[in-house]
Formats: sequence, C-alpha cells, structure tokens
Amino acid sequence: MGLLSILRKLKSTPDQEVRILLLGLDNGGKTTLLKQLASEDISHITPTQGFNIKSVQSQGFKLNVWDIGGQRKIRPYWRNYFENTDVLIYVIDSADRKRFEETGQELAELLDEEKLSGVPVLIFANKQDLLTAAPASEIAEGLNLHTIRDRMWQIQSCSALTGEGIQEGMNWVCKSVNSKKK
Amino acid sequence: MVSNCHFVLEMLGYIWQYIYTSFLRYWLKWLLRQATGKCELQRICSGYKPGASRTTKAEYSLRSSKNKVLRGALESSKDHLEQCVDQIMKEKHVKAQIDPMFKGSLHICLLQITGYSSLYTSVEDLRKEVFLSEDPQHEAMLFKLWDLLMPEVKLESRITKQWGDIGFQGDDPKTDFRGMGLLGLINLVFFSENYTAEARQVLSHANHPKLGYSYAIVGINLTEMAYSLLKTGALKPHFYNAVQGAPELTHFHQLYCYLAYEFDKFWVAEEPESIMEFNQYREKFHNVVKTHLQDPSVCLRLTSSN
Repeated sequence: MGLLSILRKLKSTPDQEVRILLLGLDNGGKTTLLKQLASEDISHITPTQGFNIKSVQSQGFKLNVWDIGGQRKIRPYWRNYFENTDVLIYVIDSADRKRFEETGQELAELLDEEKLSGVPVLIFANKQDLLTAAPASEIAEGLNLHTIRDRMWQIQSCSALTGEGIQEGMNWVCKSVNSKKK
Repeated sequence: MVSNCHFVLEMLGYIWQYIYTSFLRYWLKWLLRQATGKCELQRICSGYKPGASRTTKAEYSLRSSKNKVLRGALESSKDHLEQCVDQIMKEKHVKAQIDPMFKGSLHICLLQITGYSSLYTSVEDLRKEVFLSEDPQHEAMLFKLWDLLMPEVKLESRITKQWGDIGFQGDDPKTDFRGMGLLGLINLVFFSENYTAEARQVLSHANHPKLGYSYAIVGINLTEMAYSLLKTGALKPHFYNAVQGAPELTHFHQLYCYLAYEFDKFWVAEEPESIMEFNQYREKFHNVVKTHLQDPSVCLRLTSSN
C-alpha cells in the first residue's frame, strides 16, 4: 500500500455503523458465529448468559453485532435489543430437527414484531458440517420463508465451526444495508 | 508531546531491560556469589519463605539460566526431579553439609513448577473430553449432580424441563457443556459433593425470581474462567502457596469451588438489574480475582460463612 492510499484512508469518512442482532435458540451457534466473525478462538465457548457484543470491520462498515443468549428463560429479554436494528441474523441448528418447530415459531414471532418491521433478515442454516444437518432448502420450505413479503430475506447454509458460508452471508448483509440506504 | 515522552521512556525501559538481562544480571550474580559464597538458587531458597515468592523467583532463575541442566529441570518429569536437584547441586557446587536445607527446598520448588504444567495437561484432557449420553459414566455423573442438588425431587425422565431447575438451558444438559466438556460437569459435581450446603445455598440464590441466574451454565462459565486463568499461568502464585508439592486435579476443582461460591456472593452483593448484565459482572469479578492473584501471598480458599 502506498503512502497516498494510506492518507486517503485517513481522510475518508469513518465507517458507517450497522447494528446487527444475532438471535436463535440456545445451542444454535450464535456465539461461535460471532467469534468466527471477529477471528477469535472458538474452542472454549460456553453457553451465553445474557449477551455478547463485538464490533467487526467489513466492506467499509463497522458492524456492531449483538449476540443474545437463546435459552427460553431469557428470550423475553430479546425485545430490549430490537430498537434501531439494521439487520437481523437468525441462526438455526440444522441438525436439531426436533426443535425445527420451536425455532420456526420464534422466528415467526420476531417477524411480527413492530420494532423489527422491514428489517432485512438473514437465516443461517448452521452446522452444515454435521452429517445429519438438513439442507437449507428443506429448512426454507419448513419455515415457509417464501411467504415473507414485507422485507428482504436470505437463507445461507453455513458452518460456524469451519467458517464455511459465513462470508457469503455477511456479503448479503452488507448488500442489504446498502440497498436499504438508497 | 506527552505521548512522545511516553515513547522515549518506554524505549529507555526496553534498553535497560536488555542491558540488565544480557549483562548486568550476570555480573551482579557473580558479585553476589563471591560475596555470599552462595549461588542465586541458594540465596532464593534461604532468603524467601516457602510459597509463591520463593518458587516464582526460583522459576525465573532456572528459566533464564545459561546452563542446560538448570533449564532442563523445568521440563523434567516428576520422578526425575530428585536426580535433577542432585545434578543442579553438582553443577553449582552446592555442598549439602554446608546448606542442608537447599536440596529439599529446591525439590519442592521444582515439584510445584513442573506440577503446574502437568496439571494444565490433565485439565486440558478433561476439557477436550466431550460429554456423551451414550457413556454410562457420564450419565451417572449427571444424575449424581441432580441428586446432590435436589435430594427431595425425583427426575421424571432423562430428557425433561426439570433440568432448568438447576440452571441448564433446555431439557437435555448435554448441549450445555460445549467448550468445557467433561471438565465443566466434574467441577459442578465436585462442588455439590464436597460443599453440599454451600452449593445448595448458591443454587437457592440462583433460583431467586429477580436476582437469579442459571446455576449450571454460570458454573460452566466459571469453569472457563478457572481454565483460562490456569492456561495463562495466572494461577501460579495461588498453587505455589496452596500446595507444597505438585498440584493435582482436586486442587483445581477446589479452586473452581472458590470461584463458584465467591461469584455468587459478589452477584448477590452487586444486585444487578437482570441476568442480561451477566457478562459485565463476570468481567468485574474476573478483575477482582486477577487482582487477588497479583498478591504474592494469595491463596484462594473457599471459606464458608455457615
């Protein structure tokens, strides 16, 4: 990198801040995803009591990612974090078929929330590294995603463990923020 | 200006440190050796009381030694340590008749130093062991935890919402062990078994409708705290003071008990707004523990108020 481009970088406006809310049932992989985004070690993760927040730079954005614990007991607190959300990322454990219904219900309730109306939603069909994982297409169908009309949405298969698919998902997040601003 | 000054001072600090460790330290050691007739390790062993202040200095002295025998002692296995001490005495011309305490003192220092690394290895092995519902021993531990904490209540089935009553997230605890593996479960069981009254008291606080938290997953989180403190070496002063020999797994479980009991006290005293504040208060508590560990006389023992 030449001196000029460094100077240009210093002069350019600070990164635009984006508020991203990371939700989903417990054991879906939200914290692993968050740490993977921040390029941190993912081998010592424990269940999230409360929430974690991290800021990540990406494509000229400063992404402030809020990872909220998914256990049933603290789901009532989710709504405290809705305000000013730019993008919602909903994480699903694609191998936990027994809880597809529960996760679908939670997602449907989120999409009905007034404070989240129009907010683009990215669904991560996580844990694709597991043999028993359902493909994204099957999950999309099960969740009736095609009936969503009031916002941009996308489903992306990924593995927070290996990092596969995450970049693609985040590209969509940045794109959707850009097109929302226009 | 201020930052410039700061920078210069920092540079001077580095230069001084370089000169000290590469030249001055050795001249100083040589001078002291001539004046006292004792080598640095002897001066450390006779000049400091047993515990962290002695062992930390001995560890530094051995690690920065130019002599392979001295540095090699740090990597030695437990059974070879006595031989190592003999070799070191030979290298350093230490006469047992003149300094009869030296051999025993250095042996204990070495047991503590090498024991800390092997403790980390054993802890890491347990952490890497995944909880398996197919393993009857793992399952038995889980049921034992329930019985110790909830002696009056029977579990209706293996998969049940009741697990939430002792602070697991869902109806099957197996997904909650995650990055801490079996280590998290063993710590929980150890606390309930060896400090049953205290564990039940902590559980009753955790189940408070307003000030409560999830007992088991906070416990697993505190196992992570104990684990990372061990990994970074922050627990050295504690173990050097608490165990006059090689620390064992039980000493690590004891430390977990201290954290679980003290965190609860801290949480209750701080009265956080809600469970959503957990990570903030965890960090605050973490800093309190790290401050304790700065004290060379630190010894983190659970002392019950009961």
